Formats: sequence, structure tokens, C-alpha cells
Amino acid sequence: MENIKILICDDSVLARKQLKDIIKKCGYDNFIEASNGQEAFDLYKEEKPDLSFLDIVMPVKDGVEAIRDIRGFDPKAYIVVVSSVGTQTQLKNAILEGARDFVQKPFSSSAIAEILKGRFEGR
Amino acid sequence: MHTQFFGNFLLNKGVITPEQLIEALKIQSTTHKKFGTLAIHSGYMSASEVADVYITQTHYDKRFGELATELGYLTPDQVDKLLTIQLPNYMLLGQILVDKKILTHIELENLITEYKSEYEIYELNMMEEQKNMVDKLLSSLYLPEELPDTQNIISYLTLLFNNLVRFIGEDFTPLNVMTLPEVPTNFCVSQVVDGSFSFMSALDMEPEIAISFASRYVDEEFEKFDEYVSASMEDFLNLHNGLFSVNMSNDYTMELHLQPPAVHENTILATDSPCYLLPVIYSFGTINFVFSVTRSEPPQQDDGEISDL
Repeated sequence: MENIKILICDDSVLARKQLKDIIKKCGYDNFIEASNGQEAFDLYKEEKPDLSFLDIVMPVKDGVEAIRDIRGFDPKAYIVVVSSVGTQTQLKNAILEGARDFVQKPFSSSAIAEILKGRFEGR
Repeated sequence: MHTQFFGNFLLNKGVITPEQLIEALKIQSTTHKKFGTLAIHSGYMSASEVADVYITQTHYDKRFGELATELGYLTPDQVDKLLTIQLPNYMLLGQILVDKKILTHIELENLITEYKSEYEIYELNMMEEQKNMVDKLLSSLYLPEELPDTQNIISYLTLLFNNLVRFIGEDFTPLNVMTLPEVPTNFCVSQVVDGSFSFMSALDMEPEIAISFASRYVDEEFEKFDEYVSASMEDFLNLHNGLFSVNMSNDYTMELHLQPPAVHENTILATDSPCYLLPVIYSFGTINFVFSVTRSEPPQQDDGEISDL
């Protein structure tokens, strides 16, 4: 599992920590972190993570724009949105840009575990 | 109060594919609500009764309301009421999926029941006690008479009190709301929300009190004021505003956009509109909510058209 690289992008240091803690419990420990959409895109290009978690509301560049950039660079990018703003428009925009899933904050451990299972099971 | 969008719920359940969801969302804006969907949503008719009326309609050239009344499923009063109600987005989405034969009426009814029981935790599963407490808090709260858009603000405060109970603890007392031209701050996080109802919201407290607030929010003991304490305040405000925007989107088709939270220290908060200050007293100290409505338009009116009337 140590080869699996996970990008976590959220402007809240707390949200990043909470997400990392849950993912660590599932057995993954190789993280790269970004605090806005631009950083996420820059890091993505360098690191090519296997799974990316992106918030929507962020400074500099928001999550939906970042998904567009990342998918433009790598159409196979596996991106999951984690946001407190799960409105219809946000969901639609994120999915149209290519997000695979959308998790409403506050997130539960089981929702994150399901996503990891869906992404990495059978690899 | 739904904390997750129904489409996402269906997607997570594996009931529909992302392609089917996008297709349904695209046609949603041009779809008219159907009388049968309204009747199920209001709880006046079951899915099988609605299906029965639709089948009967293929034999008689009569309106849905008229047939449902003749068959004894609706009273004329209920028909009148149905003509005036708004259909939440998730019901319209459900109707489209039924029309496209992705779901049956019965499956939709079951999924909606499941959706509500899973995600309306605050409102439906919320202990009766908490609901009574929040209602009591709200009714005893003095709100300034000149408050704009009282209905939205009451929705906002109801959710705020519920979130305080849920994430911080129920041992709090809100004081009366004060109207001020500007508010001096201690350690403060603010967030602007834009849309047909635009506002500035802020959470302000002394750093010492913020440590206790964050410890409760994260359920971890913080010893000093650090970036995690500051992030906890931002996170709470962002979460609360996010959930509010989801509720407004689900219940009133109102799309709100959140800006990232900002931090202010020992400064003055002001907008072009009056600020409303709501102090909330906890055993560990007082936290202040500041709210300023910068734009308020009436909610989008339903066009009232019903396609199978």
C-alpha cells in the first residue's frame, strides 16, 4: 500500500488532518497536501497521485476549476470532492468536470473507507 | 432539512449512474412538476394510488385531480392545496427518473423515505427534546424589528442552534440580538455568502475561549492557541454556511455561493448594511455571531405550471 499516493486539498489544516487520520486508519500513509486549487494542480503534475480529495470552496482557485485543470492534464485522474456545500449545482459542476464522487462534510470514516475500497480494491 | 443532495444519495447507492444523473439534471430546469408527484410529496397519496390514477387516466380523458377525487384518494380541499405548493428539487429529480423508467414510483417512494431518514437527522431523528429546545430558544429570542428577510434568518438561526448542539454542546444560552453599525472583534473568522440572499457571517471570540471551542468541536484537548484552533473556527463557520446553502438549495431552489473564510484580529467588522450581533454564552465563555444581510431578493417564484393537471 506504501506505493499508493493520495492528494488531499483543503484550505483548512484541520480538515486535512481529519481526512488524513481516517485514511491512515485504512492503511494508507503516503500523502501530498495542498491548501488551494492551484497548489493541487501544480502538485498533481509533479506527483501524479493515485487518488485526489478536493474541497470546493478554496482561495486562489476553487475545487471545480482545479478538477478541470487536473482532468485536462490527466483525463484518468481519480478525483473525489469533499465539501460542506453539497448543493445541486456544485454536484453537477463537479461531476461534469469529471469528479468520481462527492462527499458531504462532515464526513464519516465509513464514507471515506468506501471510497478507498472503490478505488483500490482488486488492485 | 436535507444535508445531502438527493442526486448524490442515489449515486452513492448505485441506483443511478453519473451519466443518468447529469442527463436528469439537464432536463430538470425545463420539466414541469406533475400532480402525482406533488400528491406523494405531500403525503396525501401513496405511490400505488398515483399509479392507479395514471392508469385510469389512459381510459378517461379527465384531469388527475378530478380522477383522484372521484376515486376517493383526494378531497377537493387537498386538490386546491396541491395547486399552490412548491416541489423541492429532489422530488422533481425523482419524477424525471420515473419518467425515464430508471425508477418506478414505488422505488422512488422507498428511496425518498430512506434518504429522509438517513439525512434529515437534525430535523426528523433529532430528539424531540432538542427540537423543543431550539424552538423555545428561537421564540424567546428578541429579534430586531427592522430585520430584513426574517424567514431566511430564522432558518439560519435554527440551523445554527442545531449545529451548536450537534458540534459544540447544548449547554448554551443565546442572548438577544443587537443591531450595530459595526462590530469590534477579538479573534474573528468571517465568511461571505453570495446569491439572491447575500450575507456576511462571522464568529468572534477571545483566543482563550477559542481554545475551549476548538477542543469541543474537534473532540481533542488543545492546550494553546494555534493554527488548529483557528482552523476549527473557520471549519465550523464554513460547515454551518455550507449546510445552510444545501438546505436553501433543496428547500427553496436558492443557489448560494460561499467564499473562503477570512481571519481578522482586533479589527472592526462592517458592511454597508447593519450588523446583527448574537452573543451565545457557553460554560467556557461567550462566543459571538455576527450577521449582516447585504442583499435580499424574494425567493424564486414557482411558475405554478403543472404538466398533467
